[in-house]
Amino acid sequence: MLRFALTRILMSVPTLLIVSVAVFGLIRLIPGDPASLMLGDLATPASIADLQARLGLDQSVPVQFGIWFGNLLKGDLGQSINSQQAVLPLILQRFWISAQIVLVAVALASLVAVPAGVLAAWKQDTSLDLSLVAVATLLLSIPTFWLGLLLLLFFGLKLEWLPVVGYVSIAENPLAGILYLVMPIMTLFLHEIGVILRMARASTLEVLRLDYITHARAKGLTESAVLWNHAFKNAFGPTWTLIGLVLGNLLGGIAVVETVFTIPGLGRLLVDSIFARDYPVIQGCMLFVAFTYVLVNLVIDLCYPIFDPRVTAQ
Amino acid sequence: MMNRQLASAFALLALASPAAAQTINVALNADIRSTNPGVNRDDNTDAVVLHMVEGLVGYRENGAVAPLLAEKVTTSADELTYTFSLRKGVKFHNGVEMTSADVLWNWTRYMEPKTDWRCRSEFDGRIGMKVTSVAAPDPATFVMTLEKPSALFLDTMARTDCAMVAIIHKDSLKQDGSFDRPIGTGPFMLGDWRRGEFVSLKRFDGYASPPGEKRDGYVGRKRALVPEVKFLAIADGATVKAGLISGALHVADIPDADMPEMRKVPNLQVLSAPSATKHALLLQSRDPLLGDVRMRQAIAAALDLDELVAQASNELGTTNNSAVYVSSPYYSEVQRQRYRHDPARVKMLLAEAGYKGQTIKLIANKRSTVPSFPVAIMAQAMLQAAGINSEIEVLEWATQLDRYSKGNYQMMSFSYSARLDPAQSYNQFSGPKDTYPSKAWDSRRADELIEKATVIADEGERQKLFDELHKLMLADAPLIFLYNQVDTAVVSKRLQGFAPWVASKPRLWEVGLAN
Repeated sequence: MLRFALTRILMSVPTLLIVSVAVFGLIRLIPGDPASLMLGDLATPASIADLQARLGLDQSVPVQFGIWFGNLLKGDLGQSINSQQAVLPLILQRFWISAQIVLVAVALASLVAVPAGVLAAWKQDTSLDLSLVAVATLLLSIPTFWLGLLLLLFFGLKLEWLPVVGYVSIAENPLAGILYLVMPIMTLFLHEIGVILRMARASTLEVLRLDYITHARAKGLTESAVLWNHAFKNAFGPTWTLIGLVLGNLLGGIAVVETVFTIPGLGRLLVDSIFARDYPVIQGCMLFVAFTYVLVNLVIDLCYPIFDPRVTAQ
Repeated sequence: MMNRQLASAFALLALASPAAAQTINVALNADIRSTNPGVNRDDNTDAVVLHMVEGLVGYRENGAVAPLLAEKVTTSADELTYTFSLRKGVKFHNGVEMTSADVLWNWTRYMEPKTDWRCRSEFDGRIGMKVTSVAAPDPATFVMTLEKPSALFLDTMARTDCAMVAIIHKDSLKQDGSFDRPIGTGPFMLGDWRRGEFVSLKRFDGYASPPGEKRDGYVGRKRALVPEVKFLAIADGATVKAGLISGALHVADIPDADMPEMRKVPNLQVLSAPSATKHALLLQSRDPLLGDVRMRQAIAAALDLDELVAQASNELGTTNNSAVYVSSPYYSEVQRQRYRHDPARVKMLLAEAGYKGQTIKLIANKRSTVPSFPVAIMAQAMLQAAGINSEIEVLEWATQLDRYSKGNYQMMSFSYSARLDPAQSYNQFSGPKDTYPSKAWDSRRADELIEKATVIADEGERQKLFDELHKLMLADAPLIFLYNQVDTAVVSKRLQGFAPWVASKPRLWEVGLAN
């Protein structure tokens, strides 16, 4: 198991290297630079050049990359051009905020969507199945920003139950902190239900058609035993993979949800940095997102044997 | 009933502290960049920081310059030496009384390259004006000497992007000389800054307000009436509206298009005042097609400016083709002269210029804080109706700014930040394109007039120069100023005393919050 994990982590190094080179190069290909943005409409070529030199942006891109990469190997992701904060602590601070929302939302969505998907498959073509599929499709079709705004209007403005702007850290005030997180979590929860339910239903349906299920039924097992002991374990694999992908994807940034609910998370940090051409933060965020994605999927893979004994971590 | 009880309970929890009831919450469209005055800054940063720090002089309500930390400013006969007599009893946030030694220390710090002060080049001779010496002959007097007379000296000292040459205490810096936090003399002091979330300012109880019966720009009476002001970074416009309607926010700028909706909300009021921000259409005179002045004039005559301005500003703005803002003391009858919508003249000019239907690219952005896109949409429709083909190219702001800086455009819907002195305003867009590609107007005569206006202090003489410049600009049509931004704020009716003004920055002193 340990060897497998280490091998997978080592295999991720080339991926991260490619990501770092690609992000470093691509962000510099986009027109616009931090110096011009900082100086605004009164900038002169001389003042822009002056500021670029102070920010180290006057050197060639390979030299800039060499300096950045050298620091990266020492665990230093640099300093934000915009806020002049160290990038790594900034990312970790913002990531923790996003992770709270994503982990809770995906866990809740999985708890609801997986049994619902299995149930829909079991009762295929009944009104229950049709209703569940319709709800899932509806939730999947609503853009998260729209769903977020609807929740904001209903729970924030109409019922006045939840705060509409701002953010309070759970560490600072647990109860108030939870209140600020309810709507962002609910938005992601509702959206991801649609994604996971459909996959759980499809993979269960596929398994229910296999011969060994017919065999199990022929042995005289109860439907619930067939479903949970035989069908579910085999059907859960693809759903588990999807949950991993969803988790990796969302941990990489839920900028839209964070923008609607004024949550200072990683997604907003990345988007703000792109608009401000804050190169060190963009590079750091992208690298961190790629690393998180690799890590989450590694964890997912390592968990496979728990659900499917045929899969081993060898 | 149950809902209301829950609401009250949740609201109390959300507010998290009893002091929140007396906290004014202001929405900013983005977080501030730093709390270091005039260094790592943008408009939001200036707006917040200028609640905590003050300079020797500041802008009045109408944009004129007046003493702030100074009691009076006297100028020598040769107009080279400025003597600032400091107000007595002014204290920093740490309780230490301000003296001329502090002013001297600040000036020295600002002029050191490592400080990275935005406006150092304005005073060291690189752009024109040069301060040759400074002195603090006694604790209440500070003296500055210029190399040459300059009509812009005090105005530049008062500029908000220069942070009014803020006077901060030495303890604002860490032991290693790097900036820590602003210990200024303003009515509010820094409470807490949670990056990406909010900046909280606390009332400074030892504040010595400048004299005056009422608030007057950045001078006049400046008492902090509430214990706390909180600036929240909220990027999404819909969330800002929800915050205003719910009462969680007390002040916010929202796009003009949303004003009619906000006016209908019972607990809110919409306040507005013309600002000095200028919205314009830039015409690249180095473009093969637009290099012909007749082509530029045809574009100007093709636009029904009143209609364009009404639509782009949601009927809040008034057409102003001048670089001088409408409430400026220099906004004379001549400055009111403008382009007229004249389809017949367009036809004639296009024929004279030999226009063959080439498409003109009009660059715009979709930032919610400026009317770049609606202006472009209206202009394109009007040009099309007049027989001029145009195509809108929507760019993200950083990309547009890059194209602007390089002069790489045909037409551009662009906004210039507020400059209160007309000479500063002309300096924003006028100059040799070979040296400054971003300049829209490359005219030797104009540059001569602007240069004179930066030296001559006599208001009458300056008026003549600005009037000549305006006529010259209308004839040359290097750009078409459309209107001055109407600074609109949506404000809770609980808020008392708040008013937008020409500098387009919120002021939370002399503002109270009714229960």
